[in-house]
Order: sequence, then structure tokens, then C-alpha cells
Amino acid sequence: MKPFQYSCPASLQEASEGLIHAIGDVRLLAGGTDLTVGLRHGHFQADTVLDLKRVVEMKPKITASQNEIVLSGFVAMTAIAQSDLINRHFQALAEAADVVGSRQIRNRATLIGNICNASPAADTVPVLAACGASVDIFGPQGARSMPVTAFIQGNRKIALAVGELVTAVRLPFKNGQTGTAFGRITRRRGVDLATVNLCCHIGATGLATFAFGAASPRPLVVTDTSGMLCDPNTTEDQIDAVIDGMVAQAKPISDVRASADYRVAMLKVLATRALATALQRQREALADV
Amino acid sequence: MYETMTISVIVNGTAYTCEVAPHVTLLDFLRDTLDLKGAKECCAVGECGACTLKVAGETVNSCLFLAVEADGCEIETIEGVAQGDTLSPVQDAFLTCGAVQCGFCIPGMVMSAEDLMAQNGAPSETEVREALSGNLCRCGGYNRMFDAVNVASGHAEEVKMQTGHADTGATVGTNAVRAGGVNRVTGHQAFVADLEIDGMVHLKLVTLNAARAEIISIDIAAACAVPGVLDVITAADLPDPMPRFGPVFKDRPIMADGETQYHGEPVAVVAAEDKDIAAYAASLVKVDYETLPAVTDFAAALAPDAPLVQPNAEARSNILKARDYGWGDVDSVNAALVVDNRYSFPMVTHFAIEPHGFIVSAKPDGMTIWSPVQHPYLLQKIMAELFDHPLSAVRVLAADPGGGFGGKQNPKFEPLVAYASLRLGRPCRLILTLEETFQAVRRAAADVHIRTGFAQDGEILFQDIKSDYLIGAYVDIAERVMTKGNYLGCGPYRVKNARVHARAVLSHTTPSTAFRGFGTPQINWAVESQIDAGARALGLDGLNIRLRNLAGRGDEVVKGDFPADGDWPASVKMAAEMVGWTDPLPEGRGRGIAVGVKSGATTGLSNSTVRLLADGSVIVYAGTSDMGQGARTIFAQLAADAFGAPLDRVSVVMGDTSVVPFDLQTSASRSTVFMGTALTRACEDIQRQVLELACETSGLSEADIAVGNGTIQIAGEFHSIFDFVQQSLGKWNGELVGTGRMRKPTDPEHALGGTPAFFEFNCTAFEVEVDEATGEILIHKHVTVGDVGKALNPLQVEMQDEGAAIMGLGHSVMEQIIMDDEGRIKNLGAIDYRIVTTKDMPLSMKTGMVENQDGPGPYGSKGVSEGAILCTAPALAAAVAQATGAVVHDLPLSPERLWAALQSK
Repeated sequence: MKPFQYSCPASLQEASEGLIHAIGDVRLLAGGTDLTVGLRHGHFQADTVLDLKRVVEMKPKITASQNEIVLSGFVAMTAIAQSDLINRHFQALAEAADVVGSRQIRNRATLIGNICNASPAADTVPVLAACGASVDIFGPQGARSMPVTAFIQGNRKIALAVGELVTAVRLPFKNGQTGTAFGRITRRRGVDLATVNLCCHIGATGLATFAFGAASPRPLVVTDTSGMLCDPNTTEDQIDAVIDGMVAQAKPISDVRASADYRVAMLKVLATRALATALQRQREALADV
Repeated sequence: MYETMTISVIVNGTAYTCEVAPHVTLLDFLRDTLDLKGAKECCAVGECGACTLKVAGETVNSCLFLAVEADGCEIETIEGVAQGDTLSPVQDAFLTCGAVQCGFCIPGMVMSAEDLMAQNGAPSETEVREALSGNLCRCGGYNRMFDAVNVASGHAEEVKMQTGHADTGATVGTNAVRAGGVNRVTGHQAFVADLEIDGMVHLKLVTLNAARAEIISIDIAAACAVPGVLDVITAADLPDPMPRFGPVFKDRPIMADGETQYHGEPVAVVAAEDKDIAAYAASLVKVDYETLPAVTDFAAALAPDAPLVQPNAEARSNILKARDYGWGDVDSVNAALVVDNRYSFPMVTHFAIEPHGFIVSAKPDGMTIWSPVQHPYLLQKIMAELFDHPLSAVRVLAADPGGGFGGKQNPKFEPLVAYASLRLGRPCRLILTLEETFQAVRRAAADVHIRTGFAQDGEILFQDIKSDYLIGAYVDIAERVMTKGNYLGCGPYRVKNARVHARAVLSHTTPSTAFRGFGTPQINWAVESQIDAGARALGLDGLNIRLRNLAGRGDEVVKGDFPADGDWPASVKMAAEMVGWTDPLPEGRGRGIAVGVKSGATTGLSNSTVRLLADGSVIVYAGTSDMGQGARTIFAQLAADAFGAPLDRVSVVMGDTSVVPFDLQTSASRSTVFMGTALTRACEDIQRQVLELACETSGLSEADIAVGNGTIQIAGEFHSIFDFVQQSLGKWNGELVGTGRMRKPTDPEHALGGTPAFFEFNCTAFEVEVDEATGEILIHKHVTVGDVGKALNPLQVEMQDEGAAIMGLGHSVMEQIIMDDEGRIKNLGAIDYRIVTTKDMPLSMKTGMVENQDGPGPYGSKGVSEGAILCTAPALAAAVAQATGAVVHDLPLSPERLWAALQSK
């Protein structure tokens, strides 16, 4: 690994200034599970690494209000997977967090890090995209917020200006009215990167939304505006046809992990299964309120 | 060399304040600054878990953790788990349940298991598999680790450490505790990367992002300018002509000679004061090169106008060697059914959790080499030849390998490191990354075209085999792999007519070498799949068709050669019983069964020296490498029982060519038979001296004294030899030294240079179900049964068998090296090369063994380390075919491949 400078800002203001005034390439460090690998393999260059874990405002916290759950600071995957709040309202996010790497990785990897790394195969991103999550951004021009789908601009590309940092993730919800499910395909059962993954979100309005991962450079979100997928009178063949239409929008690539054909076929399998699970969960949630 | 920061940490309860550079990982800080070498580095990407430890109460991959991040934190490492000499319940259970083989993964694995126990004192089977899934074990100890966690958590009954049979005290036939096991569960076993040699220089290879390329120029200026860099060595700095070496063919250059022949062949090496500087500087070496056409698959290598991988006077093509075997007359047979198929087996890599590493301290008049090499004496010979030293001036200190599997048999970069050491006048060390290890050696890919003729009743009438093995740019031992694998190509059957045409095809790829099974898994994948194809076509049962053709004891499997030396049908019947072959098949499931046979070692010499000291303790000298197979334990058991000595009074010295007498090699599951026999004879040599001593001390004649089985009988009274020498040897004022050897001479007439010393026979069976929408296989049962002669240590036999089975599962369902069109490996390292994790384990895996004391080794033992990898793939594929109707001819049987086969069904 190429030697670099390291600093450990104590506040967001200090971190932001550090970013602005850094000489050469600067990289932000959260859990380090992607950054360290990238630095070692030369995929990332860094003259300075800014470790944000001691920034006081980045202390991890999961809170709920009437209409949203906020994951502020560096919430690690383990904490998300074990969070009662998340499991109750966004089971898909708990499921996705629970398959990121191994336990050792999940103890370190953070949700904000997963978003900002912007890997097309990130497991939490399809969930956030399907659920309409947004990120809070702190920066020299003040705070702003934007949807995760807009924030991730492409493979390893995010919409952060100089001096800006993501500080929180917000998940909008209406108590007891949504159902979510996460699914993914991997080459083996143990620790693996997703060949494809997706999230199905059934909203309070009764519309099913899917977000597909590893299927395009940025998360692909499609909503069944016909409402057929959530209509109990829809036949299996009709569901098939609707899902076919949605999956057809995915344009995955062929690579070392899978062919494009397999990816498309698996999106359909996952979508069908995740839809059933999400609908079931929504029914349970409604019954529970 | 770079700026440092001050950090304060508490490690295992001790506070440290140290200077550390920001780029240094916590793993390196603990290992290099605090000298806590328990945590290991393998993948360096957070996939293998060998570096697992706890920071602030949570397990982390310390390879992905900067030391500076840990400032102010409390850290727990493997060194802090045991309390003094008392092992933790997890450590103890790991040992007694047989979870520990080579031991390289064990410190990380124990940390994950300890974490699980701390979080959840009563974990379910699923939770255990999940908790350990971030730790890879390539020896395949998973099943035993599940047991160990169950024992530690009180779910299963505690297993006592065994030191001998309760009545007789004899250790042979008991699950005697692993020699070296305590060091492995406590993190104290020193692997080569753990050694600190004074004044050591760190080396890093410079490689190209190309397979075959002409090196035009190398600019080392930027690398040399990095503070801490001592030297950058290129081919121009090495002798001209470039020295070449190899175990048989002397074709491998010390470093690429004007042209690289495969992806990853080094073109320069950087020497620096620390490994980070060396790695950084290596990235600054600018190589101007031109990519040349490379042949990296069968079609390209065999094309009429293919560039020659080894152009020389005799070479007309890339076919290095072709071999023809056979008997009878294939062409005149009238078969009721002829099955004609083509099968492929991909390149796979050993993926020992310990990457290759080499340290050499070379002087003009001799050298010391530290290498986890399986064949220390071969390394000694090759280095002596290359550097024109007498053998006595080349000392190899072979640290126990952290897994070998054939990949560590032959010298690789020891010559390069020795040249660097000579040039710098300091000891030099090169520890490869996992990615570089992938580029060093692999298993040969195979393409097998096979026609099999059957009678209506399933009798195999002929096998007509054309078998190509894709070997690498340098031969290593690959020609022998092709030869030996295909010699037994027809399998363990009575085949009346056979024709085998096998070729080793050179390519611009990583040199292929020995790999568990030594060429048999490739050919056996095809041959055993043919048996099932025949059975399906004839409406026969996969078990019955095998029993119909299987060689019985004394039947020849190769006309005129060594006959079947075991009761093979007994193994097959046991496996069938264990998998429940005749039970009603649950809906959606399939079962498959397959067999495999491999030739044991054919030739060679093993020597052993044994010293029985005046207090009855014993030192055994054996040149075997203990790479996890447990040779040290077996040798200690044999010597303990020869003298009636307690196991803890026997020490086994290995891995030092200046002290331990010559052993040909550690391969082909030979050590129990060859070295076991040698040391047994050395013990017998001592027993003769004990008799002489007894005559002298008792005044009796030899006729009145009997020595054997660890005891001495004097005038009708029994004593253990152990007790006897303590009382009597003092009069001789010394010790007794015995020597023994086993030699199987070369037979120049034999196609393999000698008949097999024994066969390794195995039967594997599966019960599976398949998610037909995704192609994912769920394995309900995986059973293996070996014909082992005599299990000197049944637990170790099971460990070897399960390890081979799990490795076989890897190449059956997920492993393959994937290259781009130009021959660059696309899945280097642990992220995209998949091996079996705890979560990929069959729901049930069981091992059985057939013991008839019919092997050539001590107590009738045979070698057992490879059997269960020989027929994993065909047994699994047969089960999948029964469950789904999809027949696959190409490995691995990945979800995607199976899904594709199901689409075209």
C-alpha cells in the first residue's frame, strides 16, 4: 500500500474543511472494508485518508418518527440487521445488511459507506432505492438532501461536491402499511457478492416497486403502475407478464460472475419470489396495526 | 521512510504505545511491531478470515483495519484466548474433535467461534455455519468445527483428548491427539511468514498485465528513488544465459527471460526494507512491453499454426508428450450400447490458506532456505545444482506448510530469492499474495473425448479415451500428472478392451502441477459420468452397474499390472448403505454414486533415524512435511507403540535437511506407507539393540528374551521397552540409535516407472435437490468411504477424507480459473475465485472406512489423503441428473451452468 497521511477530524465542519484543503487525492474512511482493498490494489489513490469515525455527528443512531426512520452516522451492517426498528418496518434492509460479507465485514461496513462506494452490486442500495430513501448531505454550502437513486450516478460515481459528506439515510414510511423483501443470487451460499439482487417494496398505495442491483451501473427502479401485482385477482400468468415487462428494462452485463442472460432470468425468479414475500409481509403488517 | 503516528492500544490486557505509519494495517502492526504472529494473512481482501481478531469487542478482519484506527481501543487476539496453559473450551474442542489440520486458518477460525460463543451460548447448526462463514479452511475441517462448537457449547458430549488405548496404552488405532495441535489452536505455530531472520530484506515481484509479452525495456528509476528501496533486480542482473530449473524438465527461468510466457510471470523484483515499500515501489517499475499472441486454451494451443510455447529443435507442436495405453482390441468389440461424449474439467487452483513464501540467506559458499516446501530434498538438490554447491552446503528448513495439496511440492521462487540474497548480502524474503499464489501453480484443465461400449447387462466392453491435459508454460510435474492420471484412466473396473491416448498440451498459462488426486479427478469425471450415461441408457441402477464391473481383490484394472489390493465392493456397499441408496427417494431429490481409484506412490526412498534416549523418551527424524495431513502424529504413534512409550515422550523432527535424513518427497499419500515403514524399521533396529542390552544386563541368552510390540519379555516377565531402557540403558551410558528405510526401486519397463505401492480407492455418494429456477443445488447427504487398510488414527483418516471431499465439492460446483481472450486471469484472488465455505457444506457429510489390514504400510495401512476427491463430481452430477433430468458434461456444475442445462433440457 502506498503511504498516505491520516487524519481524524472531530466534527463535520472540520472534516469538510479537511476535504477542501487536502493536498492531492483524499479518501474518506468509514468501515474501511472497501477502501482498504481499493488502496491495496491500487484501484484508489490516496495522499490523505480522512477517518470520519471520530466525527461527533457521525455517531451511529437509528431513530423513528411518524413518517420516517433515520439512520444517522455510521450505522454498521450488524446493527442494521439486528435493529428491531428496521426489522419491523424495512425487513428487506435488515435482510440485505445481513448478507453483506461475513460477520467480520458486517461489524465494520457501514450503510453510508455502502452507498458512497456506489458498487452496482451493493446489497443495501436496491432496498434504499425501492423504498424511496434519501441521503442527508453536509457541506460548505449547507445541508441538503437527495434521493439515493439520484445520489448514485453510476458505477462508483456519486453526487458529492467538494467538501460534502453524507451524514444520514432517511427511509420514509407509513406505519404498518408497507411490505418489503430482498433477494439475491450468488455463486455460492457463503459470503459472496451478488450476481444480481433486488428489493420489492409494496407501498401504502398498493403499488409494487422493484429496484434491481447488479443489473445496470446504477440502481434501476421500476414501479408497477398498473397495480396488477398487488391485486389479489391477478392470475399467475398475468403476474409473469408484468414482471417480464419490468425485468426487460434491466440491461445487465456479462462478466466474471455471470452472463447477462442468467442475470435477467434470475431477476425474474427473484422478483416473483420477492413479490410474494413482500405481499405476505404487508398483509401481516396490516393485521398487526 | 515515512511519517508515523503514535497510537495507544491495549492488546490482550497489556497496554502499548507505539509509532506506526498510517498505511500499516492492524494485522501488520500486531505481527511486525508487537510480534504477535497468531493472526495470519491470506487473501488481504476480507474474504478468508485468517486475520480475524477482536477490536472493542467485535470481530474484524484486521487486514482491512488500519492500525491508526485502533488508537485507544482494546484488542483481543488468538494469543489471549488460552489462560496460560489452559485452553479455552473452543480451543480444546477444536483439537479433540479433529478440526485442526494445517492450522493456518485456525487462529481466525477460533476467534470467530469464540465470538459466536460469547454472543450466543447455544447456537443452532445454521447459526454455527453462518458465524464461521467468514473464515475459509482449505483443509476442509468444517464438519469437525461444527462438532467442536457443539461440544464447546455443551450441545454435544465432550470428547476427551486421547493419548492411547485405555487397556494397552497403545496409540495405533486411537484418535491420538494431533502433534503440534496446541500450537495451532493458540496461534503459536510458526509458518514461514512468521519467521524473523536478522537483517531480512523484503522482496516484491513486478509482473505485467499480460500473458505472453515481449519485454522491451524496464525503467526502474522511480522505484529506486523510493526511500527504503535497496535494489530492483531485472533479468539483466541475473546470469546469462538465464538459469532454468524444474523437477523433471529444466525449463523454468529464474525470472522471465526476454518474454513472459504466462500472466504473472515476474519480470523484475524489488528489494526494500519493508514489505509495504517493496510493494509500492514495484508499482512504480515501468515496463515497456508488447503483447504477443498467446495460446491459452486447447483450441488455440492445438491449432496447426499455433505459436510454440516451448520452441526448440524437437518441438513440432504444443503437444509436450503423448502417451498410449491399452489392451485388448477396442475396434473389434460388438457392443449393445456405445456412449460417446466429451467432458471438460476447468483449471482450478490449490488455494492453500497459506500463500507461498520463501526466505533465503545465501552466501558465496552456501545457503539456508526457509520454505514451506513439500519436497525439501528436491529443493536442496535443485538449489545445489543451480548455485554449484555441494548438497551439504544447502540447508533447507522446511516450515510446516499451511496447506499444500500438491501446490507446494516443487521449487518456485527460491532461486530468485537466493540470487537477490547473494546480490544484497542479506537474507531476503518473498511472501506472495494470494493473487500471486494463483499465478504460481494450478491444476491442469482437461478435455476428454470418450467412447464407452456396454453389453446389455451393463458390462463395460471397452473404453476408448482421448484425453488432453492443458498444462502451463513450464512443465513443472505436469507431464507426470497426465501420465499417471490416465494410466488408470479406465477406473477401478475390469475392462476387457481399452485404448487411452493422452496428451499434455503446453499453453501460455500458469504452470500446472500436482494437485490432490494428481490427474485422476479430471479423467475420472469423464469415465464415471460415462458409466452413468450407460446406466441411464440401459435402464440400470448406478450402484448395480458399478458392482457389475468393479474389480474384486486380485483382479487387474490395468492388464498385466498390480491387481486390486482391497475389498472395493465393500466400500461401495457401505457408501450405498450410508446414503440410503435403496430408501424411497423423497420428491424432487436425486442420488448419485461414483468410484475412483488412484495409484499410490510408485518409487522412491524414505529414510528415518530414531533415537531412544536413556530416559525412554524418543526422537524420530522424518523428512516428511506435515502440511495438515497429520504425518507427525502418525509417526509419533508408531514410535510410541514400538517402545511402549507415552505419546508425550516422543518428538518428531522434520523439515531440516541438515539433520534429518533423505526422504524423496511428501506426495501421493505416500508418507504413512513409506516413511511409516522406514521409521518402523528404525524402531526394529533399536529393538535389536534392546535385545542385546537385555542379554548383557540379565545374563540370559537371546532365546530367553522376546522383544516386540513395545514390550520386552525377560524370563517370562513383561516390561515396556520404555521402562526397561530407563532401568538398564544407564549401564551403556548413552542412547540407542536406529535407522530404517523403505525403498521402492524404479522399474524402467513400467509405464509409471513402477507398480503402485497401493491403490487409493474411494466411493462417494450424494443425495441432492435442485432449485430448478435458479440452478442451485442443495446437498442433503454427501458420503465417502475409503479402502484404507488400517486406520492408524481413525479421526485423522476422517479428517483427510472429509477434506478431500470438500475440496472435490469445490471443483464440482464452483471453482474455475477464468481468463480473458488474451490469457489474463480475471478472477485472481478470493473475491471472484470461489471455494467452499461453511454455508456451502452439505446438510450432512459422513465418512466411512473399510479396514482389512491389507496395505503395505505399518499395521497394513495405506495412504488415504486423496481418495475422496477422485469421484465427487461424477457422483454429484449423477444425483443432479436423477433429480432434474439435466446431464452436464462440463465442470463446475455452477448454478448458472445447471440453469442453462435445465433450459435446454
